[in-house]
Amino acid sequence: MTTTEPLLSVENFSLGFGSKIDLIDGISFSVEPGKTLCLVGESGCGKSVTSLALMGLLATTPARITGGKARFDGKDLFTLSERARADLRGNDIAMIFQEPMTSLNPSMTIGQQIVEGILRHKPVSRDAAQARALEMLGLVRMPAPEKRFHAYPHQLSGGMRQRAMIAMALANAPKLLIADEPTTALDVTIQAQILALVSRLQAETGTAMILITHDLSVVAEVADHVAVMYAGRIVEVGSVDDIFSDPQHPYTLGLFGSVPSIGRRSSTLATIEGSVPPLEHMPRGCRFATRCPFADQRCMDEVPPDYEPKAGHRVACWYAPLEAHVRAA
Amino acid sequence: MTGGGFRCRPSLSKKGPDAVLKLIVRRILLALPTLIILSMIIFGLQRLLPGDPIQTMMAEESDPQVVEFLREKYRLNDPIPLQYLAWVGNVLQGDFGSSLRTGLPVTQMILQKLPITVQLASMAMIMALLIGIPAGVIAAVRKNTMVDYAANAVALSGMSVPNFWLGIILIMVFAVSWKILPASGYVPITLDFWLSIKSMLMPGFVLSTAVAAYLMRHTRSAMLSVLSSDYIRTARAKGLLSNAVIIRHALRNALMPIVTLSTLLFGDLLAGAVLTEQIFVIPGFGKLIVDAVFTRDYAVVQGVVLFTAIGFIAMNILADVLYIVINPRLRHPQ
Ligand SMILES: Nc1ncnc2c1ncn2[C@@H]1O[C@H](COP(=O)(O)OP(=O)(O)O)[C@@H](O)[C@H]1O
Ligand code: SF4
Ligand SMILES: [Mg+2]
Repeated sequence: MTTTEPLLSVENFSLGFGSKIDLIDGISFSVEPGKTLCLVGESGCGKSVTSLALMGLLATTPARITGGKARFDGKDLFTLSERARADLRGNDIAMIFQEPMTSLNPSMTIGQQIVEGILRHKPVSRDAAQARALEMLGLVRMPAPEKRFHAYPHQLSGGMRQRAMIAMALANAPKLLIADEPTTALDVTIQAQILALVSRLQAETGTAMILITHDLSVVAEVADHVAVMYAGRIVEVGSVDDIFSDPQHPYTLGLFGSVPSIGRRSSTLATIEGSVPPLEHMPRGCRFATRCPFADQRCMDEVPPDYEPKAGHRVACWYAPLEAHVRAA
Repeated sequence: MTGGGFRCRPSLSKKGPDAVLKLIVRRILLALPTLIILSMIIFGLQRLLPGDPIQTMMAEESDPQVVEFLREKYRLNDPIPLQYLAWVGNVLQGDFGSSLRTGLPVTQMILQKLPITVQLASMAMIMALLIGIPAGVIAAVRKNTMVDYAANAVALSGMSVPNFWLGIILIMVFAVSWKILPASGYVPITLDFWLSIKSMLMPGFVLSTAVAAYLMRHTRSAMLSVLSSDYIRTARAKGLLSNAVIIRHALRNALMPIVTLSTLLFGDLLAGAVLTEQIFVIPGFGKLIVDAVFTRDYAVVQGVVLFTAIGFIAMNILADVLYIVINPRLRHPQ
């Protein structure tokens, strides 16, 4: 990547649910200030768990961080006290969740819920916080913001609720926004609006973002960098150009196979057959080996090393660069 | 129940009062058949019990003529359906009849005793809320720890300990050995406020145990389900500290069903006060009904039971109304 000091850098992060094999197995990626990293991968590969771990919101699940570091803005997240992490949450790192219908408190008004987050972190009067909350509702293009300020969540549509969530997340101008599939639960017609809104606000405020999404056209449009995750490992990471024009990992190729711009290779690698094996049957080597058309015994037994076609573009595959090997085969 | 969340905003609650009124009327209409059947049962069962009220009243050496006169006076010779209709007719005019024993109007006797029992039930309710809700919250927050197990064990004993046994133990400890609380009796709250409260501490506590335990368990399970909801994760994502999350976000929502439940439980407490009043010699509603049953004082028994039933139904209606009033989803329709 470029020489900018990253805002967040995750190194070798592992997390398990108590079984012998870690669900998240040594992942590394970084996010630069003001830039967008898209995290893509099949559902169940660990994207949400990773975001919750970065937020420090895992306490409610039996998940345990088993290794690695996450440096954010000069701090080592996983060694901070619970209090220090709470001070970061909603202030320097904010998150938007996938489920707008259930993510707002049903017995508090939208306004109260935004104001509360501002008062928690900023030394301002209640009036100032309310003014800021109203301003945020305007910024997220909430229709009739003064009225919605006093409305309860059930009085709002899914799209409006997600706008309220975005207003809440951005009210304290965080340095990093984690958006975990923010539009998946919404009507197709408003998905694009909400995404456009998030990326416009992000550009305006200079907030960095980790965007988790299944929508490759969104990735192509908003991502600066892309991390491709498979079964708790990052199999390929690089700039959006690297990933779209020069994908190296067989899984990336499979995922992006349906996108026309990939070119001649897409015809042979468009579909990924099979499904992710359960954790206890995960191959010791490459986790994709049970589904990879190129897999051999070494892939099954030995973890592939990182291959870097160029600075910032990293692939975990024994057969990278793929072109050379495919041609050889 | 603090904070703006539960305050009605006039601009948004136009439909609220209307809906509540409709609900009350509907519930009252629905309750009418229940009340009619209940009044018949009360009336009928009384007549089936062995023993004769006039005999009980007059003792052995009664003059048959006097007995006959009294039987006529209280219409005890009429066919039972006629007696029932006469009674219902009077009740509808607010006249519950007069006591066979004291000659006083039943309404007056009830109104005299009611405040005593209401005070006892209220004390018990307050104690049950003060014990049950915090215990339930703590048990939920410390789920599957020693604290949780202990709270559950105490709740289980609270439900299973017989009230009279607990009452006697408390009297022995606090009144007999330590002499810090009166053993029994009742002081009107208007006469000496603190003494009145003090004399009701033990009875209130004894009466509260089962309800406190029940509330603890319901609060615990309501809290557990709320604590695992998405909006609690959102609250934590804002950086709120755990007390704010637990009280402002979780408890506020968990309490909604608890408020309704408490209203119903208060009805239980009023009805359950009878035994406690016996233990602590409190001259309330319970004593009134026990005395009336033993002396076959029909009018009093009927009046008291019917009154209790109406109170119970009123509590049910109040519970439904409260449920709407505290729930924004029902208070502010879309
Ligand atoms: N409490 C839990 N105990 C065990 N496994 C869990 C738990 N919560 C989530 N998981 C597992 O973690 C995996 C990753 O989940 P998640 O991060 O939500 O995936 P994604 O967001 O990528 O779809 C899932 O396969 C799920 O089975
Ligand atoms: S390491 Fe082997 S199994 Fe894994 S992606 Fe590369 S070729 Fe396929
Ligand atoms: Mg997810």
